[in-house]
Formats: sequence, structure tokens, C-alpha cells
Amino acid sequence: MTNSIPEIRDVDFLFVIGSNTSEAHPIIAMEMKLAVARGATLVVADPRAIWMTEIAEKHLQLKPGTDVWLLNAMAHVIVEEDLTDQAFVEAHTEGFGDVRRTVAKYTPEEAERVTGVSAEEIRWAARRYATTDKAGIYYTLGITEHSHGTDNVYALANLVLMTGHLGRRSTGLNPLRGQNNVQGANDAGATPVFYPGYQRVDDPEVQAKYEESWGVELRPEPGLNLNEMMKAVGKEIFGLFVMGEDVLLSEPNVLRLEKALNANEFLVMQDVFINETARFADVIFPATVFAEKDGVFVNSERRVQRVRKAVDPPGKARADWKILIDLAKACGTTWSFDGPGEIYAEMVRDAPKFAGISYERLENEVNHGYTGLQWPCATPEDPGSEYLHKGGVLRGKGLFTSVDYRPSMELPDEEYGLLLSTGRTLYHYNSATQTRREPGLIAKQPEAFVEIHPSDARKRGIEDGDRVEIRTRRGAVQAQAILSRQVRPRCIWTPLHFSEARANVLTNDAGDTVTGTAEYKVCAAEVSRVEGGAEGEHFPGSFYRESGPPR
Amino acid sequence: MSDEHDAKHALPDALQQAGGLRKGVPRQVAEEIGVPEAHAHGVGTFFHLLARPDAKLRVCTGLSCRMAGADGVLKAAREAGMPVEGVSCLAGCDVAPAVLRERRVLPEVRVEDVQAAKGDWKALVSRGGLSEQSWHGHVWPEKPDSEGLALDLHGEIDRSAAALRRAEELGPEAVIGAIEASGLQGRGGAGFPAHIKWKSVRAQAEERRYIVLNADEGEPGTFKDREVLMRRPDRVVEGLAIAARVVGAQEVWLYLRGEFEVPWRVVEETVAEFRKAGLLDGLEFHLHAGQGAYICGEETALLEALEGKRGMPRHKPPFPTEVGLWGKPTLIHNVETIACVPGIVMRGGAWFRGLGRAEPGSKLYCVSGHVKRPGTYELPLGVTLDELVEAAGGYVGELFAFSPGGASSGFLPASERGLPLDFKSLSEAGSMLGSAGVVVLNDSYSLREAVLDQLRFFEAESCGQCAPCRIGTHYLRDAFERRMGTDTDETDALRNVSEAAWQMNEGSICGLGQAAPLPLTSSLKHFPEAFGGKETVS
Amino acid sequence: MSEQPRITLGGSAVVFEPGETLLDVARRNGVEIPTLCHDPRLKPAGACRTCLVEIEGWQRLAPACATRAQAGMVVASENERIDRHRKSLLALYMTDHPQTDERAETGTPNQLLAMAEAFAAPSDWGRLPQKRAGRPEDRNPYIHYEAETCILCARCTRYCDEIESVSAITLAGRGSETTISTADELSLLDTTCEMCGGCIDVCPTGAMSEKMPLALEARPDRALGKVRTTCNYCGVGCQLDLNVDRAGEGGRGRIVKVTSPEPGTTSNDGNLCVKGRFAYEFVHHGDRLTKPLVRGKDGELRETSWEDALQVAAEGLMGVRERHGADGLGFVSSSRCTVEENYLVQKLARVVFGTNNVHQCAAT
Repeated sequence: MTNSIPEIRDVDFLFVIGSNTSEAHPIIAMEMKLAVARGATLVVADPRAIWMTEIAEKHLQLKPGTDVWLLNAMAHVIVEEDLTDQAFVEAHTEGFGDVRRTVAKYTPEEAERVTGVSAEEIRWAARRYATTDKAGIYYTLGITEHSHGTDNVYALANLVLMTGHLGRRSTGLNPLRGQNNVQGANDAGATPVFYPGYQRVDDPEVQAKYEESWGVELRPEPGLNLNEMMKAVGKEIFGLFVMGEDVLLSEPNVLRLEKALNANEFLVMQDVFINETARFADVIFPATVFAEKDGVFVNSERRVQRVRKAVDPPGKARADWKILIDLAKACGTTWSFDGPGEIYAEMVRDAPKFAGISYERLENEVNHGYTGLQWPCATPEDPGSEYLHKGGVLRGKGLFTSVDYRPSMELPDEEYGLLLSTGRTLYHYNSATQTRREPGLIAKQPEAFVEIHPSDARKRGIEDGDRVEIRTRRGAVQAQAILSRQVRPRCIWTPLHFSEARANVLTNDAGDTVTGTAEYKVCAAEVSRVEGGAEGEHFPGSFYRESGPPR
Repeated sequence: MSDEHDAKHALPDALQQAGGLRKGVPRQVAEEIGVPEAHAHGVGTFFHLLARPDAKLRVCTGLSCRMAGADGVLKAAREAGMPVEGVSCLAGCDVAPAVLRERRVLPEVRVEDVQAAKGDWKALVSRGGLSEQSWHGHVWPEKPDSEGLALDLHGEIDRSAAALRRAEELGPEAVIGAIEASGLQGRGGAGFPAHIKWKSVRAQAEERRYIVLNADEGEPGTFKDREVLMRRPDRVVEGLAIAARVVGAQEVWLYLRGEFEVPWRVVEETVAEFRKAGLLDGLEFHLHAGQGAYICGEETALLEALEGKRGMPRHKPPFPTEVGLWGKPTLIHNVETIACVPGIVMRGGAWFRGLGRAEPGSKLYCVSGHVKRPGTYELPLGVTLDELVEAAGGYVGELFAFSPGGASSGFLPASERGLPLDFKSLSEAGSMLGSAGVVVLNDSYSLREAVLDQLRFFEAESCGQCAPCRIGTHYLRDAFERRMGTDTDETDALRNVSEAAWQMNEGSICGLGQAAPLPLTSSLKHFPEAFGGKETVS
Repeated sequence: MSEQPRITLGGSAVVFEPGETLLDVARRNGVEIPTLCHDPRLKPAGACRTCLVEIEGWQRLAPACATRAQAGMVVASENERIDRHRKSLLALYMTDHPQTDERAETGTPNQLLAMAEAFAAPSDWGRLPQKRAGRPEDRNPYIHYEAETCILCARCTRYCDEIESVSAITLAGRGSETTISTADELSLLDTTCEMCGGCIDVCPTGAMSEKMPLALEARPDRALGKVRTTCNYCGVGCQLDLNVDRAGEGGRGRIVKVTSPEPGTTSNDGNLCVKGRFAYEFVHHGDRLTKPLVRGKDGELRETSWEDALQVAAEGLMGVRERHGADGLGFVSSSRCTVEENYLVQKLARVVFGTNNVHQCAAT
């Protein structure tokens, strides 16, 4: 996020796209609700009529995968009607000419045909966004989990740059991180391209610094990203170390991965529960959960916050950091850290972005009104950064990137007539290893379900509560059908949380051309009723369900 | 805001149309109106006409109706297996005992009437002299006198709209000037000078403004608004139209008791007539049925209820003249007050002022209880009890105590019979004129019982929002009821009761809680002997 | 430039910002005014009446929480009248409330009891029969409503309306029967409730409380250890307090509930969602891995010692490197783990095994 969570309540125009905020980020949704209650305008662009649309001024219900069309058409309107922030564009950006030329052909009328959102609404949203001083964009995986996810982000960034919605409070471009420490894991260098603090592995100066610091020779070529690694299993990759992730649940097209894993030679897994991946593990280390260890997480707004040990691990389970040191030692190193504090100190020593943030400051200081410290934070005196790009753009000049629409890799056809998207729900989390051990969450959402539009259900003889099979070219799973008021006709939606109905048996592993992130949001699917009777009322108070309580 | 205006205010109506609060209704209605189902439940449980749809008959258990034998009627109905319950005042104290059959008030229901219905609640009718169609009580003076009476309840309905035309000729400033000169005070209970409210609303920067009519008459002992609505709807509608023109309001909202089925029809017809005559162009009239909650007679609670919420009073300031209905400047008046306006416009402020004694205007006094002819009496503001009762044919038995202005005014001893019944004099006597619902007691009805009636009333009608009133009304009734049966440690109990009463007056948000201890404290003060002790309440 | 407006509070002149309430001004100046129904996140209700103050020229006492400061106001928050008000108000409250800690403290410490004690309110006014209906049949496993302890301050319903915006609960009924309910008195599970538990967090008396500690017969709130940490679910990074019974789970410590920090101190502003507040049972779940496992020649996983497991793992990974080169290995780190642990995984991949094949689930 370029900006901070507490700034959201003061935003006057919120453009939420590809984010089911009230379910995936309930606390950020609360901030948005406050903003709306205060009089802010909320616009939700989403294929589903998610809860947030209830309080939105407008819901742009676009067809899945057509985001570039929508966003470029908005840019088209902003350019056409001369609503750009000329001074900002000149002072802080480069490459606007390309974008201006590209978006010229994305007329709102044509966009209406492709996206299903009316030209009038596109114009309205573009005008309101461009002309509202405090206008913020919020997005999540609905933007990134596409084969053209990076294009989507560029298209959003173009809107931000051309309107100068950057470098101030309560505006900006704000990806909402899906997991507690996605930000921190990337910050810490758990990426094939960067050392800690976004220092490129192929930058010779950086390489030299780390070689000096770590006392070894390092490789200058970037490694494989997760999607590439999983596709390389059994071909180039024959050994895996997997910490805290169930790749057999969370990776797309898992049946292909399952086959590949048979050709893998060795797999070490470090986790807190037995999971799907365990079937292929040669060694399993019993690890710890957040409540059993010390450390830091970095949240969506770049805020570094402490994690503190509250209870002891069960049995012989060990803190993950301790296991990693032990493993390094078993491999012949002499690593000696007496705890997370020392590890953290070593990391920030070589990473200027976080250099000013210490455990001591996290313990004792309140900055900008809240605990925790937001990077960039270069010195021990630096109060941290509530929002980025203050007085300019971080990398010097903000770079416009013109993008053209590319259709999703697999769209409905005669054989698979529905468009399947997957996502999260409020009551479960990722592979649900934690949340499906919770009585209350199970009571709310006990099993896998698929949302289907009543008209599509009728055509297929499916009634609310029926057990159905969802099929794609990659596999099939069963779930309970929910006749939903959220989904568009000819679209279905299923959550990714349920191991007995792994959504990723269905999804397409076509990756984004830049990040490798898979196309979890769009693939072709079909649904049919499974004989064996109705499942009944298993989702009390469900807000998806047509027959549920009114919102 | 316009969404709110369109949607939520329809919630109580929708609950009524759905047959009241039954299982499944909150969800169904919430879907229809677009409000949360919990809110539908919260609103439905607040109003007793909605909360208990199975009670088809409701027998008034107010003081005057109990004096007239309501207990027997209630008992007979129960014994006949009818779906019946007791209810707070039905504004039929002059035609006691009153019984509500669904939304229709039946006057003077006798035990024989109940027996004649043979267990069928639908068959219950009043066989007395009064027709349930008109529900007219006794009104005095019996001859029309538009010269000497501001309301003139026996006067002919005047469809000429002369006052409205006159107001338009005069212009807003002159009308407000006339009202100021008349000295008109709010007749709902507070006695606040009307012209200040008119000026304030007119002066607001916000241009969307509302007129609201408070016709939620529910103060025990009071029934005058019922008579005004039925006999002089012309004065009410014309007064509202004048007010709207003068303060620049576009909409008029009328909040009528849900039990006012008959008056409702009369008002509706009158509005239609005026509209047909082209007198209400550019003005919208909305009629809203109250769903059974005394507290909604409090102006800000009424506004909440009009907006479709639970009728819980708001904090003041800000006053409704600044922040009223849907947050907009709102002029809200009681029926009698607004009905005084056409006369003032036609005949001038000085005329009106001259109709009263120490305070301006003629006034509608409701009198019930132990008098020969209970009814509504228009007399100069400031007559004494004796004068009023003389008009009402005299006392029945020997005067023992009286309540000059509804339950909220407490009880005064016979020795105060010479006190002018006006706002100032009664206030100085520690009581209030309130709505001028005068209840007269002789010594045949126990004062303790009368006090308990009033305490029960306040407990039943407290909205529950603030602790002093919610707990205090419960506490006083409980302490008093238990004390009535025992003689133990009365001094301690009285001390705590007195302190609780002080707290209710000091701490409550609105007038209900502030006045609720008065029936008890005034009785302890004026009738110590009736409570077996000396005065202990300060 | 005009001078900043002032009021007189307790005899001293203090400045205020336009829009501030008397309570805001008092708290900023360290003047204590008791409150029960106030929450800085909510619109003032003025319903509990504990914060009434005296304003010169006003006939009635005014709620400090709901009265905006106006230049020149002379405000008293302590005097004989206010003291009598507080004592008698609290005495009334206590007639309608359990009198002892054991009965009254179903959840968090009861602020009403503490306040009654602090102001030496009379406790001999007797007890009223309790007329508020509860919903004992509600089968939801998280949120318990103890009607007897409820003071109808409506913080819970206002939170549900104004902050969480799901409006699952409401004030219901009227007068002394007023209670907190749901549509048709349904179980919270069957309503729009999203189980954020904000109703528990804002409740001043513990009438809304967690069911879990009740079921576990946990020690009272004041005997629990509180550990401030960061939530392990989504990327918002809510701060929360794990409430730990140190003696639980055979001395390992048992999390019996999660509470949120004071509003305004952390970027989640005292708010939590259903997962943050309630989904911690996995910590103590019987399915947890408690011993290292190694797959034997027969293909079965079996328990082993740490030394053995580490040895097998190190040799296995080294073996792959020998056979396929460093890039024959892939390291999947975790955005669920700490920064320090991610740092160690990438360092392990790069330093020990010599590959940049290290990543985690990083779609956002």
C-alpha cells in the first residue's frame, strides 16, 4: 500500500477493484464503511455483487478478466475530458505519451460491449475519480491472479499517475496483502530476484555487499518463481524444501503437480499440521504457530510489528527460526543466532529500507499515533513513512506503462459453458488448516460450496443445496450448490479453502507473464447435479444465498 | 439522506401490514423495505400494537378507566377467553372505560357488552349511547362561538380557507408577528412560546424544512386532540398549511395515534378536500400511524418514530427547529396549538391574548373522573378547578385530590382547587398544566391505588434508553407496590425512593423520566396521612 | 487571527477544537469524567448518564459525551450536585444488576461495579426482579449474552451498526424489559452477524462475553496473562492480546481468549474480525505435529529424534544438489512465517545451497 490503513476513513472517493474487502480484509472494510458513513463515495468494480456493493454508490459488475478494458476506458475518459493532473504528469512521470495513444482506442462504448459495464457508468467513475482530491484505489487478488495480472496493475498505476493521486494522505494505490506476512516475506528476500530490502540479485554492487557480509560467493542469476518452480518439479527441480505452505492445495492445476511430485527425489516439509503435501514428504519438521514464537510481521501498509511468544509449543515442536538454524548447522554451517532479535538485526544491517527499525523501537515507540514502524525508515530517528512518494515518486519519475487487453487464457466454450473464479471467504483462511479446526467457523461454513446464478442452475436442473460436480479440463470436485445473488449469469465462484474439494484441481496454471502468478480467477468450467439428494441448510446466515437474511 | 427518507420510515407501516411481529416477519419486511432485519425486530418490539399482534382487544388501564370499572371489563374479557390485554391510556377518559378492538376505540364498554359478545372478540361492541363511528365525547360550550373561542369545537367546519388566504396576504413576517402578539404557548405540555419556534425554523440556512403535527395524544387524562381532529379538522389542516407557507416547508408529516382510526379518516378527508380546492399546492401531506408508544408524544421520540426507528428521545440541544426530521429544520406542534393558528391569523394576536386570563388564549381542558359530565371544555386559560368542574356539571362526591395535567402532573389536594390552571401557577405549585388532562378524585378511590396506576403507566411506557428512567420507573413501582403491603422499615425505603426520584428528575434524558416520580412525590408531600407517615420527600 | 476558543473546565480555562465534545476536552486535559456508554469510535449516545456535568446557565445537567464545547461555557465536572447524581444513579444501576464480582463478572472486569465502588454509591437500595430476556438457546459457539448484567448502554448494537455495519443485533422491547436481541431472537449464526466479537470488546460490564472461557471454566480475566502480538491471518496486521492461562495445557499455557487493544493505539483501532478474535483453537489442537517424522524404506512416515530428522534432511537436500546441481533445488518459504524465518530460508537457499530458487506465495 502506498498509504496507511487509518487514512482510509478520510478518503473521499474509494475505488475498490478485485477486492472482496469485507471478507478478505474485514478490518480495512471497517475503515471503508466509516468513510462511506462520513459521506465518501465508494465504487466497487467486481464481477460479483459482494457485500461492499451494498454501501457502494455504484457497482461496476464487469465480466471477469476484462479489467484492462475497464481501466483503459476510464483513462480514455480522463484524457478525453482533460481531467489529467498536467503539473504532476510533467514533474513526476515519464511515458504518458504512449499511454495516451494506447487508451485512445478504448472508448467507453466499446468497453461496455466487452466488460458489460455501461459507458455512462465508466464515464461517471472516471470523472469522479479524476476530480476528487482524496481518491484512493484498493485492490487484491482479483487484479493480480490473472495471466495478465501485471497489466492490470499497470493500468491502475496509469490512472494514479495521470491524475496525480500519489504522495499525499488518503489517496494512492493500495494493494491489500492477503497474508499476514506477504509483505515481510518479500521484504526479507524470500524471492528469486531480490535480497532483503528489494536489492536485486543481479546488481553487482549488491552482490558484492552480500558476498562480503555472508562470506560466500553468490549467484547473480535470478532464480525461479513459485509458479515456475512448481512447473519445473520433476524436470529441473528434484528437491524441495517447503515451509508453511501446502503446495498441493494452494498451487493451481494441482493434479499436474501431484504427478510431477512422483518424479521429485526429496522433499522436506516444515509445518504445524499434516497436510496434502505431506504425502510426498521425506522429512517433516514439527514447527510452531505465531503464538509460540517471537519475531516480526510486516503488514500491508509496510508496518513492521512484533510477534510475541505467548505459549510453549506442543511436544517437541520447535520454532521455525530454530529449525532453520539447526538445519543449516546440520549442513555444516556455524550459524549462531541467539534468537529472532539477532536474525532481525543482521537483516536490517544490509537493508537500508528498514535500517532505522529496531526491536527496541518497536517495543518502546509510538509513531504517527500508532505502534509499529512503517518502512522506508532509514535511521533510528526516522519516524517511518505513513505514505510513499511524498513530494515526488520513489524511483525518481513515475513510469507510465501502456498496456493492451489480452483475453484470459481459457474462456467458456460449448463444452465448459461457465466461467469459474475462485477466492476467499470471511470464515476460512487459505487451506483452512487453522480455520477448519474452529467450531464457530465450521458452523458458519462447514463445507465446500459453489455459487451459481439461479438461471444457470435452473438450466442444469440444480436446486439450492444440491450436491454438484464442478469440472474443468484439469479435474473435477464436488461441492454444495448455492443459488447466489452475488454472481453474474454464466459465472460461478468457489472458495479455495476446502481440501476435500480442492479448487486448485480446477484452476488453470497459466502464469502471469511477469510474476508467474497463476490465473486463479478465470477458467472454463461446467457444473452438474450429483445424484444423491439435497444437502439441506448448511450455511446458516449465509449472505451469498438468495434465501439468506437480507443484508 | 433521500434514500433513508424513502425507505426506512415505511418500516412500522410495513410491520403493521404484515400483521405485526410474528416469526419470519422481520426478515420479510426487512427485504421489502431494505433495512436490516434486526432493526425490523427492534422497531416491532418497541411498539405494543406491533409487538403483540395476537392481542385483539386492549382494555385501557388508565386511572380514569379504572375508576370507571375497567378492571371488571378486562376480567370479563379474560374469562370469556378473548385475546385481551391491558393497555395504557387510549385517550378515552371521558368515555371510560375505553377498549381498543384492533385499531378501533370502543367507548363506554360495560361488562354486559363483553358478555354479549359471547367470547367472540370481533363481536364486541359498545352498546352505550355513544357511537363507535363518531367517538365524540361531550364538548362544551355547546353553542358555537367563533368570537369568544379559539377552537370553537361546536363551530361549523370552515372550508373557505380564509385564514390561509389571509396569511398569504399578510406575508410570513406579519403572521409570525401575530403569533408573537397572541402569546400562543405550546399546548402539548411544555407551554413554550410558539413564535420562537416559527422564527427559528424560518431563519435556518437549510432550505429543506418540515412541519410535523404531534397527534400522538396519550397522556392519561387527555383526549382533547381527538375532539379537535374529529370536530375541527379544518382548523388543523389550515393551521398546518399556514405554518408550512410561513416557515417555508415543503412537507407536512402528521403523526397520529394508531388507535385514532376514526380521527384519521376525518383528517384524511379534510386534506383531500383542501387539496381539491387547490389550497395545498406545492405541499405534501403525509399521515403516519403511531404504533403504540406513549413516549412518541415527546417531540424528538416522535421524530425518531417518523423516521421508522425505535421511538427513543434525542438529546437537546440541538432542538428540532435546527436539527429535526431527517436532520432538517422542523416545526413541530401539538394539534391544539396548530388549531389556534387560523383564528389568530383571522382575528389578530390581541384577540387571542384577550381570551385568556393571566396567560393568553382560551384552552381546551379535559376533565374526567369524579365529575358529572366528563368531557372537553374550552375556557379561558387560567380558570380554577372549581370553575371547570362547575362547567362539567359539578363534582361527584367530595373532592379529595386532582391531577391537573395528566399523569406527569402528579396529584394536588383539594385545598388547591382555587389555583389558576395555567402554566405558571401550576409550575410554581410543583405541578404542571401539561396537556390539561384534569382527573378529579373523590375519596371513593384510594389515592394509593391512583398513585400506583400512574407509576405502572410510566414503567410500561418508559422507552428504556436511559438508566434513570428505565430502572427508576421500575424501582418506584416495585418499591411502592411492595411497601403498600407491609409496614417494615418505611423510613429507609422512603429515603431511597426519594433519592431515586431525585435522580430520575435530574438524570433522565427526557420529560417522561423527569416527571415520572411526580405522582408519588407529590402525593407523599400533599397527602402524608394517606401513606401512614409524615412528609419525608424534599 | 482570532484566538482559539476556550471553555472553563473545573475553574481553569482550556482551549478546544471546534467540534470537540466536553468529554474530549476533559480527557485531553486529564480531567476525569466517568463513562459507560462512550466509545471513541461511536457516535455519542448519552444513554448511561454517568458523564453528566453542570454547565453554567443550563437548568439541566448535560452529558459531556454528547455536548459540544462552545466558547465561553463554564463547566463543572465535580461538585455536590454531580456527586449526588453519580451516587444515586449508580445506586439505581445496582438495584438492577448482580452485586458481586462472581455473579457480575462473566466476561471482562465489570466497569459498573468498579465505578459504583469508586464513587461509594449506596448498595442498600434492594434488588429488582430481572426482566430482560436473554437468548440462552443461541447455539453460536463464540458470543454469550448475559442479560442480567446488561445495562443497555447500546455500545454493542451501535458498534454492530456503525463500525461492523452488519446490524445483526438490536435493542429490543421497551422500558425495563429492553434487551439486546436479534431478528426473531435467532441464533447469531442464523443472522447477518459475522462474529467479529466487537460487541464483546465494547461491552463495559461483560454482559457480552466470549463463550470459550466459560466453556473452559477458565480463570477470571484478571488472573490471565496478556501478550500483545500481531494476528496471523490476513495482511492487515491487527494487533491483539492473547489472554493466556499460564497453568493451562499442562503448563504450556492455554490461550483462553483474544482481546483487542484500546481504540486509537494501533492501526486496527481496537477492531478485530472473526478469525482474529476467535480462531485460535488450532494452536491447541490435537492434530498438531509434535515430533519430527521421517519416511522409512517402507514408505511410511514414522517419528524420530530431531538429530535424525535434521541429518536425513541435510543429506537428502545435499544429495539432490550433488546429482542435479544447486538449481535442482527449490525453496518454498512462507508468508505465514516471520520476517526472520523468511530471511533464514533465503539465506539457507543462497548461502548453504547456492541457489536463488526461493519464493513464497506472493500474489499480492
